[in-house]
Amino acid sequence: MKIWSSLLKIDRRIIYLAVAISVLVPLIFPFSIPTNVMPPTQVLFNAVDNIDPDNQAMLISVDYDPQTMPELQPMLKALLRHAFARRLPVLVMSWPVQGLGLGKKGLDEVTAEFNRLAQTAEDSIIYGRDYVFLGWPPYWLAAVLRMGSDIGQAFPADYYKNRTSALELMKRIKNYNDIGLIISIAGSAAPQSWITYVNTRFGVRVGAGSTAVSAPDFYPFLNTGQMTGMMAGLKGASEYEHLVHTRYKTTGEMAAIRGMSSQSIAHLAILVLVVIGNIGYFVTRRKQ
Amino acid sequence: MSFDPWIWIGALLTLAIFSFLYRENPFYRFAEHLFVGVANGYAITVMWHLVLTTRVITPLRGGNFIVIIPTLIGMLYFCRFMPRFAWLVRFPIAIALGFSAGVSIPAVLQASFIKQIQGTIVYPHTLVNWQQGLWAVIILIGVISTIFYFYFSREHTGILKPVSYIGIIFIMIGFGASFGYTVMARLSLLIGRFYFLFKDWLGIIK
Repeated sequence: MKIWSSLLKIDRRIIYLAVAISVLVPLIFPFSIPTNVMPPTQVLFNAVDNIDPDNQAMLISVDYDPQTMPELQPMLKALLRHAFARRLPVLVMSWPVQGLGLGKKGLDEVTAEFNRLAQTAEDSIIYGRDYVFLGWPPYWLAAVLRMGSDIGQAFPADYYKNRTSALELMKRIKNYNDIGLIISIAGSAAPQSWITYVNTRFGVRVGAGSTAVSAPDFYPFLNTGQMTGMMAGLKGASEYEHLVHTRYKTTGEMAAIRGMSSQSIAHLAILVLVVIGNIGYFVTRRKQ
Repeated sequence: MSFDPWIWIGALLTLAIFSFLYRENPFYRFAEHLFVGVANGYAITVMWHLVLTTRVITPLRGGNFIVIIPTLIGMLYFCRFMPRFAWLVRFPIAIALGFSAGVSIPAVLQASFIKQIQGTIVYPHTLVNWQQGLWAVIILIGVISTIFYFYFSREHTGILKPVSYIGIIFIMIGFGASFGYTVMARLSLLIGRFYFLFKDWLGIIK
């Protein structure tokens, strides 16, 4: 009785410490756990894999800011690796202003990975030819509707202040007809807005990379087919990293896969704490 | 250990935020205020470079004077600071509201209402295999019973009682799934910060 009642009064800072240790130890001494790919991630991977690189591009919208970066940045990098490995043209834009820096960081890191191994200009990933960073539109709704007729008018200049219409890639990517898939990576309801205003109106397929918190909100859209696949949280990111690495043997750090050993141990620790808390609650209540 | 001053700044600010787990303190408040200030400063800079420069100043220099009209309408927002002309702010607000409502109402109805109802209906082709059919029926039961749980115009007695009870079971399963995902999300953020501290800053993780 005394043990259970004292367990119910554990200082919250001790619980923080226990969770911190359960996260940190597997990070320092990682172990591999098998990656089971869930259907939403597989559907998204297949959708990217089936875009015709000669006729269409993929649009990635960096709809997150630094506070959700650990979960979502690995998704951006895995998607870019997938696209660049297939030589699939990529357009990147950002909805929140703070997403600009994260988008640029992801692009710089992944292009460097590919260009380190490149022998010729043909092998390299070149700005304007293989990808374009469109930047940030001042009024998102007006911009995404405008992109249906002319992307160059929605973004007269790219992030680097180049005239968009002068870029080689943008001469053949004019509007949503030339976009095979839009992927909104978000820590908010942004993918739902893409479905509402772009998928419904223009018929472009929309996929998502979502924080685990927001993921349950998107399952109804997966069920109706309005959303074409989803990466849910760090687990979804690790599944996508696994799929890309297995198929294309890409190089580069796989942060999500590395984080999953910590995730698993920390989940076990929290499960134990929840079970102890519940047993303690019921035992002390019965005694009272 | 890193010798990059930016890594050090990031690490010390991370520790300042983490210090809140022990108790409220000046280091935490400093980091919090700094974040708000930097985020706003960054946003203003982006507005200048990616909006005013590329969408107003450059077109004006190129002889595209039509941009003066939306610019002037947008500048009416500043009338709010002048009590005599404050009423003029209604023009840009009315334009923005009218545009948003006109675009949003049919789109939201189509995407979040009609399509979702269609997704709930069980057609003969959803029963082509037993797995798909089973999930379709479960979704249908879940939607109907949950709606009945929130139907307050009649007392939950008779047939409504078991139906609304099934509804609350679905709601609880939904809460459980959301909680599980939330735990995963919060841990992911902690993993990201620890990875930064112990790899980029201290170099302990190889």
